[in-house]
Amino acid sequence: MEDLTTGQIFAGVIVQFTPVWIGIVVIMGASAYFKQRLSLYGRLFDSPVGMVGLALVLFWALTALFADQIATMDPLEQFRVLKNKPPGTFEPESGIAALLGGDNLGRDVFSRMVWGSVTVMQIAPTATLVALMVGITMGLPAGYYGGYVDTALSFLANLVLAFPVILLFYLLVTPEIRSTVIPTAMASVVFLIPILFVIAMIYSKLYTRPDTLWYFLLPAVLIGLFMYTHLINVWNPTGVWLDANGLNIFVSVVFVTSPAVFRIVRGLTMDIKTRDYVAASQTRGEGPWYIMLWEILPNARGPLIVDACLRIGYTTILLGTLGFFGLGVSPESSDWGMTINEGRKLLRLFPHAALPPALAIMTLVLGLNLLADGLREQSLKD
Amino acid sequence: MQTPDYDGPILEIENLSISFFTRAGEIPAVMDFSCTVQPGEAMGLVGESGCGKSTVALGVMQDLGKAGKIVGGSIKFKGRNLNDMSEDELRALRGSEIAMIYQEPMASLNPAMKIGRQLMEVPMIHEDMPEKQAYDLALDVVESVRLPDPKRMLESYPHQLSGGQQQRIVIAMALMSKPSLLILDEPTTALDVTVEAGIVDLVKNLGEKYGTSMLFISHNLGLVLETCNRLCVMYSGEAVETGSIADVFDKMRHPYTQGLFRSIPLPGADKNSRPLIAIPGNFPLPHERPQGCNFGPRCTYFEAGRCDKGAIQMAEVAGDDRHASRCLKFDEIDWDAQPVVANKTDKTEAGSVCLRVDDLKKYYEVSASALFSGGEKRVVKANESVSLEACEAETLAIVGESGCGKSTLAKVLLGLETATSGGVLLDNNSIGDTQIEQRDTRTVADIQMVFQNPFDTLNPSHTIGAQIIRVLEKFKFGNSNADREQKMLELLDLVKLPRAFAKRKPRQLSGGQKQRIGIARAFAGGPKVVVADEPVSALDVSVQAAVTELLMDIQRESRTTMLFISHDLSIVRYLSDRVMVMYLGHVVESGTTEQVFAPPYHPYTEALLSAVPIADTSVQKKNIVLEGDIPSAMNPPSGCPFQTRCPRKKNVAGSLCETELPPMRTLADGHQIKCHLSQAELDLMEPVIVLTAAE
Repeated sequence: MEDLTTGQIFAGVIVQFTPVWIGIVVIMGASAYFKQRLSLYGRLFDSPVGMVGLALVLFWALTALFADQIATMDPLEQFRVLKNKPPGTFEPESGIAALLGGDNLGRDVFSRMVWGSVTVMQIAPTATLVALMVGITMGLPAGYYGGYVDTALSFLANLVLAFPVILLFYLLVTPEIRSTVIPTAMASVVFLIPILFVIAMIYSKLYTRPDTLWYFLLPAVLIGLFMYTHLINVWNPTGVWLDANGLNIFVSVVFVTSPAVFRIVRGLTMDIKTRDYVAASQTRGEGPWYIMLWEILPNARGPLIVDACLRIGYTTILLGTLGFFGLGVSPESSDWGMTINEGRKLLRLFPHAALPPALAIMTLVLGLNLLADGLREQSLKD
Repeated sequence: MQTPDYDGPILEIENLSISFFTRAGEIPAVMDFSCTVQPGEAMGLVGESGCGKSTVALGVMQDLGKAGKIVGGSIKFKGRNLNDMSEDELRALRGSEIAMIYQEPMASLNPAMKIGRQLMEVPMIHEDMPEKQAYDLALDVVESVRLPDPKRMLESYPHQLSGGQQQRIVIAMALMSKPSLLILDEPTTALDVTVEAGIVDLVKNLGEKYGTSMLFISHNLGLVLETCNRLCVMYSGEAVETGSIADVFDKMRHPYTQGLFRSIPLPGADKNSRPLIAIPGNFPLPHERPQGCNFGPRCTYFEAGRCDKGAIQMAEVAGDDRHASRCLKFDEIDWDAQPVVANKTDKTEAGSVCLRVDDLKKYYEVSASALFSGGEKRVVKANESVSLEACEAETLAIVGESGCGKSTLAKVLLGLETATSGGVLLDNNSIGDTQIEQRDTRTVADIQMVFQNPFDTLNPSHTIGAQIIRVLEKFKFGNSNADREQKMLELLDLVKLPRAFAKRKPRQLSGGQKQRIGIARAFAGGPKVVVADEPVSALDVSVQAAVTELLMDIQRESRTTMLFISHDLSIVRYLSDRVMVMYLGHVVESGTTEQVFAPPYHPYTEALLSAVPIADTSVQKKNIVLEGDIPSAMNPPSGCPFQTRCPRKKNVAGSLCETELPPMRTLADGHQIKCHLSQAELDLMEPVIVLTAAE
């Protein structure tokens, strides 16, 4: 069979991404239509930069969602005929073309790139979210109380920030450390904080209304406990969620990201706590956690959302770096960083294997940065 | 560039229109604005926030930013049209012939440069003056703005000076090039009253001394009366009335000007017999301006079919000197008619003592160094033996400038701080040592506060209704959500806001409306005592009156004790029953309003009374300008706290003022004063404010 021409490859890739194109058009069209009612997210559609960013992020998010439909082959299966073959080569048995060629083990580069997005999209946003919660839970009291609480928590954050990140990851992900209790212990602390965070939010808001309190608190506690036991692998009968390695990566990402969030939240809190509405809530006898979570935090959301976007980007790069050093989710997986590392060895001869995942990381991070820029620009207006 | 033989008007603005171009389209900020400033004349530009007065000033400076554009009319400076000038020509004018002074002095000074350098730069750039000569000139000018020790001043950095000193430096900088036109944009708004009086005095004298023309922008009519020869009242982008001070103040010919004067507390106004009359309604947003007269919807003389017909032109008032009004009906209105006072009320009788503060002291400890806390500790004495008694249904005003300890007192009363010593009794329960967390619900609900800044008092993230309901929940009001919902709606009725506001976010409300919500929140739990910390000082004049009246009404009905913290003596005289004057943590004078506002005074009260500008041409004031600034509470002067600035210190024998803290003396029943002056001296005091012309 004849190899595909450049034009055909291009067309083939575009066709493969059909579900993604439809998704982007539907989501962005609907959002632009209802933008008056969507506050900050709606105003994003007034900023070209923000829209480009959102489109790029949506592209990868939807790619991860529809990976099964988009990918042409199994990302792990090795076809001897495809070994280091250029883009457009056909795999004779199935008659499917390897749109972006094959890598040094004869796996389809295109499918590996598509499946790589799944790993990133599973870990980066969720880990950032958890890190955000951990950072907020530490940052609020540090900024609000000041004094010794602040000194202690800031010291802790500085300690983590000062430690070389890659070295830390090596330590956390190496088999010797992994077999100890350290990762599980860390996970049990890290995952406890979001649950406490949610419970504190509900309780501080609703304790004045005991009749409604339990409707919210009880489900929150039950769901929290269920997720908690699953995540730290204490009780995991269904076997879903993360495997041990994924958990380690997840916890490590949270561990190094949360101190940065902590600093931002602490600074914002110190500013917002001087406002009159905080004094007003103090003079009606509100407790410190209500003031922190319901008076201060909602007004810090703007900068936090922008920061979260940027931080998902950093986490994506971090995951890539980890994969590159072989600390990825699993040694066989289609992780982008790991693919780049494998492609790197024959880069001069066969650049097609390493380029697609590299471009993928670049476009996703670029999209997140542009999105953050757009959000910041729009939130500063009026 | 200088044209010394030019003798026409310094500034001629003709039919100026300025618009801002935003995403929402064109927003006209100034429309058809004309005014003329003659040499040596001081022109006041008065109006509420958003009326376009600052935009006019920026238009004169040709500094409207990216979005602003002059869309019509001309601005002539000494006969030359500024609109046609190139950037280079403008640069030569700015700072040399036209100088501008802004509200915030620190923002106008470069924090990284010494004062002397910044001053010398002006003539060195504009006139190529040699450095030595520029230094001498700077020394000269700093002296003429009456700053002590000019040599040391030139060697300091801006942050080493106080706010008042900084503003004097900014004025000095403007004077370095001997400008023909000085634009002052609210130059004293950020300063304390006594400091403000000094600056106003300085500006007035400089106008006389150098013959500089001035464009003085302010929202304060009293300040304009003191500094200007002519004024122009602006409303919603238009000049509505212009003329000489005497004409506009005494023979106003526009309903808005009249409304403004009726809504500010002048001497003679009284909360019971002559209440303030607020201008109804709200200031229109630029894109919601009505057809015809902009003031139409709020005007009592409004005539449908005539006032809302088309654009209204300025018309000369016959017989006056360049007095014009933008009103179709000014010849028909009876301007001398006294307003109908709808809600005359009787004086409420004060009840039994409800709040008693006894010898309260509040000290803060500040470590000398943050890094090595082992060092010496310094003590800030925020409150020094404060005693007061407030009765039910009574308004006690606490007067003083920033740093006098009035806010600390409020914090102790509310339980945000605990007293170092002394007692606070609320209905015979001691609360001085109880932090807010330890107070029971009733006590917390009993003493509440109305905050100063309307833009800060409500949480921007929650709806109005949710915020009020939360207060009710905290105060354990009602048994169900429906109860509280109902009470919340009633509270909205109480502060005269539509019930639909419950669903709104604070950013959809105007400043006055937010302040009303703040009042509703404070009164939600049926408090015994409400501490109002300058509740109207950040609001526009026409809104101030409405909010003040509302506060008074609610207080009258609920018989709440109110502690009214303010630095504005006009409003204090208007609404309070008793007054307490504080200075550097000490109560220096206390008594009934009549006693405090009539001699004998404490010298500080006397200076404070003289410093507050009053917008009434029939008022004669003694001019007492205090030297220097308020000392730091970290390092208070020995003896009497006021001795460093007291103009009457020389009348006390020996060094008594410097060595000994004066005791609290009782002059008349309930009138107390903390001063060393002899009884004979006190008896000689004359009233500061005299109404000359009988009305």
